[in-house]
Amino acid sequence: MTVMPREETISVGGIKVHTLIGGTGDPLLVLHGAGGNRGWRRWMAAVAERHTVYAPTHPGFGQSDAADWMQGIDDLARFYLWFLDELGLSRVHLLGHSIGGWTAAELATMHPGRIDRLILVAPTGLKPAEGEILDIFYFSPEELLKYTVHDPASVPEWSELYGRPPTPDEIDIATRNREMTARLTWKPYMFNPRLSYFLPRVEAPTLIVWGRQDRIVPPICGEQYERLLPSATLHVFDQCGHLPPLEHPDAFAKLVLDFVDGPPRAAASRRV
Amino acid sequence: MKLYYFSEMPHHEYPDAEGDKYPALRLAFPNTHFSPAAAHRNYQRYLDEYEFADEAGFDGLMINEHHSTPSCVNVSVNMAAGILARTTKRAKILLLGNILPIQENPVHVAEQIAMADLISGGRVLSGFVRGVGVETWWANSNPVHNRERFEECHDLIIKCWTTPGPFRWEGQHYHFRHVNPWCLPLQKPHPPIWVPGTASPETAIWAGRMGYTYVPFLVSFEVARELFDYYRQGAAEVGRAVTDDNLGFLICAVTADTRAKALEAGRHFVWRMGPTLRGPVEYFSPVGMRSRAASQFALKARSVPLSKMSYEQLVENYYIVADTPAGVIERFACVKEELGIGHLLLEAQESRMDHPTTMRSIELMGKTVIPAVARM
Repeated sequence: MTVMPREETISVGGIKVHTLIGGTGDPLLVLHGAGGNRGWRRWMAAVAERHTVYAPTHPGFGQSDAADWMQGIDDLARFYLWFLDELGLSRVHLLGHSIGGWTAAELATMHPGRIDRLILVAPTGLKPAEGEILDIFYFSPEELLKYTVHDPASVPEWSELYGRPPTPDEIDIATRNREMTARLTWKPYMFNPRLSYFLPRVEAPTLIVWGRQDRIVPPICGEQYERLLPSATLHVFDQCGHLPPLEHPDAFAKLVLDFVDGPPRAAASRRV
Repeated sequence: MKLYYFSEMPHHEYPDAEGDKYPALRLAFPNTHFSPAAAHRNYQRYLDEYEFADEAGFDGLMINEHHSTPSCVNVSVNMAAGILARTTKRAKILLLGNILPIQENPVHVAEQIAMADLISGGRVLSGFVRGVGVETWWANSNPVHNRERFEECHDLIIKCWTTPGPFRWEGQHYHFRHVNPWCLPLQKPHPPIWVPGTASPETAIWAGRMGYTYVPFLVSFEVARELFDYYRQGAAEVGRAVTDDNLGFLICAVTADTRAKALEAGRHFVWRMGPTLRGPVEYFSPVGMRSRAASQFALKARSVPLSKMSYEQLVENYYIVADTPAGVIERFACVKEELGIGHLLLEAQESRMDHPTTMRSIELMGKTVIPAVARM
């Protein structure tokens, strides 16, 4: 039977964070990308069979409260450490996609001992050694959608997510998501020039996932993350753009489960 | 009513078919189509026209600033102000204006405006603008901070002009540990402040609250009246009376010896209404730059975009006035009656309108139109 989530509002520093929570087992925190929290997706339900999935909506996005004072992804990362405090989670698996992946990487450099396994899915955060991160703000949401996946026809949940025109409320939320993304990532655009110096501090075994046909964040960034992180493996999906969890949900869920449920780590971090 | 002369200093020096290949002339059209030789000639010519407008009796000379666009290659309103401060004698110099949100050093802006005011003998009218989105892209300034930066930059400039230094400024977006400009305006407490508007109710309310002269640009009478109502709302909040002198309006205008000649010259304004405003909405209004209220107001204000109007419609609806001096006087009287303004700003040269046509228009304005308008 498909695992379904419950909705909760977690208050962090006075900011109410809309959060989906589902499943049982070790906690897995999932941080969404610039497109916002797309809800309880097929891959999450599969992972939730063996783990408790926490999928919050970032402050300033969707139904969560605003945090206009935030100025960068490092603020968001620090905020999620506080979020974990409020949930009483001392150690989690952490998965982030796109700007959520960047947030996850920043968080892991701030408190390495708090992360058991780290999964970065097409994260921004590093300046590409070649090419450029697509400037998403030059495009309307409709145009941008064309760049996000390799082939919409092969995305199982495409119709459910994008098969009808958005309602006025959905347009309002999409605008809110874009505004908050601009607030967090405008300059330098989508990367932190200091992050590469901190990544070697990350202790957690890390899985990096990319789509070979990603047109938003150049796949070469995956190689850069792999080089900079002490214990990282890069997995590249073929026939896949910027949204591996949506484009290959079943294979993605299996990849995540195999990685997270792999052999236990030899020793707990001294920084726990 | 006072009249102001204005040219965007355009650089329409390329085949139009080349511009049509790109999604927008602003930002996207490659500067390989910029001609330094033509620009050299044009700057001389445009500055000559400004000097002639001063001699002809215009009450003010308006200058502005844009970037990454052939529609306006005046890339420094303060540099142009410095030139006109020295080369003209009597007209006000209306900077409309400095684009505050994209400034990195408001103290330097305060110094430059003060220097122009000093050189000109106190003729500067200092306009402050939020800019169109294109300038935000050009400066790589975060659009979600646009209004905050506008207000903070304004506050610091005013403090530079009104508070003895040295002092320290630790704000939200600007941080200066030592502010003590040794260049202060001649006018006291500072040059008059002007603010333009096209769609933001918040800007109109703010300008009203501050008592600044507020000027809607190229909108219908109906929209201008609505913006003026917002302005009055802001003024009422602080108990400030609103007079004609607080309100202005900008249109395109040219005159000639015959109506046919004027209408022929007026066609050059169509370029600025259409091709130079063509482009993705994200270029002109990047995410977060406008509030929801302003976005909704903009949709209403531009229910029919200027680019979709025919030349005849633009003339009929007072976006463009092109007529003999007598006809122009009649049209300006109508603007005055409709809006009750004290300042009428004329975008009086555009696109490929040539030098003789522009000079003749300025001359005729000076001989006949300006004296008539002064009595309105």
